[in-house]
Amino acid sequence: MSQPAQVMMIGWEYPPHNSGGLGVACHGLTKALASQKTQIHFTLPYLHTDKVSHMKLLQCSDDSWGAEGLETLYQPPFSVYDTTLETLQVRKSGDLDQYALRTLPRSELETKVGQYAKVVASAGRKMKNKYQVIHAHDWMSFPAGIKLKQKTGKPLITHVHSTEYDRSGLGSGSSYIEHTEYLGINAADKVIAVSHYTKSILVQKYGINPNKVAVVHNGIDPLPFYPDRGRHHFAGKRPLVAFMGRLTLHKGADYFLKVAKKVVEEVPEVLFVVAGSGDMYHELLFQTAREGLSASVLFSGFIRDVQKEKLLNRADVFMMPSISEPFGLVALEAAQRHIPVIISKNTGVSEVMTGSLAIDFWDVDRMAAAVVKLVTDQEFAQQVRDGQLQNLDHLTWDEAAGKVNQLYQQTLAET
Amino acid sequence: MPKICFYLHLHQPHRLRDISIFDVGKPGANYFYSDQKDDNREIFLKVAHKSYLPMLSLLNQLINEHEGFNCAFSISGVFLEQAEKYVPEVLELIQRLVKTGKVEILAETYYHSLASLYSPTEFLEEVKQHEAAIQHWFEVKPSSFRNTELIYSNHIAQMVAKMGYQGMLTEAVDRYMGGRQKTKLYSSYAENKLPLLLKHAPLSDDIAFRFSNRQWQWHPLSAERYLDWVELYPENDYVNLFMDFETFGEHQWEDTGIFEFFRVFVARFLQKEWNSFVTPEMVFSQLKPPDVAKLPVYDVPEPISWADIDRDTTAWTENELQQDTLRLIYSLEKKVKQTGNQELLNKWKNLLISDHFYYMCTKWSADGDVHAYFSPYETPYEAYRSYCIALADLQENLI
Repeated sequence: MSQPAQVMMIGWEYPPHNSGGLGVACHGLTKALASQKTQIHFTLPYLHTDKVSHMKLLQCSDDSWGAEGLETLYQPPFSVYDTTLETLQVRKSGDLDQYALRTLPRSELETKVGQYAKVVASAGRKMKNKYQVIHAHDWMSFPAGIKLKQKTGKPLITHVHSTEYDRSGLGSGSSYIEHTEYLGINAADKVIAVSHYTKSILVQKYGINPNKVAVVHNGIDPLPFYPDRGRHHFAGKRPLVAFMGRLTLHKGADYFLKVAKKVVEEVPEVLFVVAGSGDMYHELLFQTAREGLSASVLFSGFIRDVQKEKLLNRADVFMMPSISEPFGLVALEAAQRHIPVIISKNTGVSEVMTGSLAIDFWDVDRMAAAVVKLVTDQEFAQQVRDGQLQNLDHLTWDEAAGKVNQLYQQTLAET
Repeated sequence: MPKICFYLHLHQPHRLRDISIFDVGKPGANYFYSDQKDDNREIFLKVAHKSYLPMLSLLNQLINEHEGFNCAFSISGVFLEQAEKYVPEVLELIQRLVKTGKVEILAETYYHSLASLYSPTEFLEEVKQHEAAIQHWFEVKPSSFRNTELIYSNHIAQMVAKMGYQGMLTEAVDRYMGGRQKTKLYSSYAENKLPLLLKHAPLSDDIAFRFSNRQWQWHPLSAERYLDWVELYPENDYVNLFMDFETFGEHQWEDTGIFEFFRVFVARFLQKEWNSFVTPEMVFSQLKPPDVAKLPVYDVPEPISWADIDRDTTAWTENELQQDTLRLIYSLEKKVKQTGNQELLNKWKNLLISDHFYYMCTKWSADGDVHAYFSPYETPYEAYRSYCIALADLQENLI
């Protein structure tokens, strides 16, 4: 066994700040890597004040950020990723979520990402003896990764947690972001995709050589407590089907409503809950009313923490009818809480959660039939639950970190 | 020289509290206030302080000072509930005014609902319930009818006539007036004809909406100028000034001079002995059936109201959010009534209050401003969202 690698990891967000899917994944992965003796320097474009002991954090913010450079940034200059649920933060000037971000002039995006690249490259060059490999997470970090590789000649691994194709309205994304992704995965010595589904997008839409892409599925930390499942939480008299996610085109919330319509025709008392916010919100409300579902589909608005826990603990079925989902962490969170999950086939998690019911997002009839079966056939629901729990046993960050470590070694051996 | 019929509308809805999906199915969940927070109380206290108390006092003064002054109130049942609970002094002041015999109380739906459009049975029940409440608080029996937001149609007039009322108040809508004057008496187009008093929108809105508008060419409006406008009408005409009670002190703040304006106007108007105020009852009770039969007919095939520019019911029924929630709440009528559960019935009836649907209105432009002014929600979508949660809870109780 070779020496554990020393890694310069380029991040953008880290829990608890803007801890979206990306932040959560970075946390899980770095902890597991560290426990396998990997040494990590992790850059962030802001000052992270919470204590982190398993790696070294580097603040790489540009002086011009914050309130005209007068204030220290405590979170990323903008938040790029939708998360399963929006994180609630006091927003500072300059910090924008990805929807506001899209309205930013392209020049501003480029400037911020470019400045981050400069700061990271300059910090990274000074300490180039302390790492052997560069590992950059998603497009905001790719320019920094490329620059650092150019300055130091060290191998670059780019890690794709999601693509602009998933995030945007399927092909209507920012050309700048797509281009940045393209450059990032091309400049890299190796690419990590969070699923075969994402790998196929990289191959088909970005034209990358499939041999360069390794698939490393995300893991999930086990629940530290046994879930308090049951109908006692609320709406105890009827089956409850939950959707959680940003209300955007690619999450397929409109398909959730179509399924609701079909299910209610057969089992009228089923209650559907849509948790989340997003740009399709008003349209979804109108769709609900138009279909006569005003008392059958409820919108919780944006929820988190205790409320999120409560909804998951109460739900009898969890649905993720995404049109495109690189991974889909929230499906695992539902499975952990013993909820039968129906997932779209266009998701990364469907590759690992074989116990869940994977159905095409557009196949409303089959989705509806699956919901009806799950809420009327307890034995079947139990089978699904058990199958999912077995899947979860293998979905650890330790496993993911093992694969990443192997890739580090392989990359170092080849370069 | 005309007669002025001055009528003020008193209503406060039970607004939904910040209800969440996690309240669905909670035993005894209250939709309208919590132990920690009661926005309805805060609003009522604020409006009572700014409008109800000072204007009621002013009306009391005017009645004492001027033999010829009188007016009419329409008071929703849910207003009476809140007045009793939050500011009983408001009720006492109204009682005192009614005792003078100079203030007529009109009949209407208890819950300020749209029942006249959706459920004849509920409409009848609410009118009865309202009549009982008026009897209880003021020991009078209303004889003239005004529907929620002056909503009116031939069909509604027929229902009201069947209940035995003497006459009705509504809006004069151009498309059904055919160029005729709104200051005349009309009769309903119905089997049982009812005499009608029609609102004079321009003169009413001069006070209710334009009074404090600095862009308005007549700002600041003097009592003298307003008197000139009113006196343009001949003897035997009726200038029907119908408006929200809150016009005085709340929509138009005290510092706009609204109270003083009204005090001076009443005094100047009554200085001339040929001028007089009338109440609907004074007008309607004079009319014998043959007189009513001779009145020109106001034919209104589609429901009208006093709301928005369109003067129709689209403020409550235009979009799908409103339509589906209205459909659902009225579809529960039989089920709710069959349970015989008073608490459930109460919740259901309070969800009929028309304001809930008004808040869901997505018509923008000039009307949108008015809707937004009255709404406790940031957007019509939040109004819909909250209402649906209450609906789902109600349904949960019926499973």
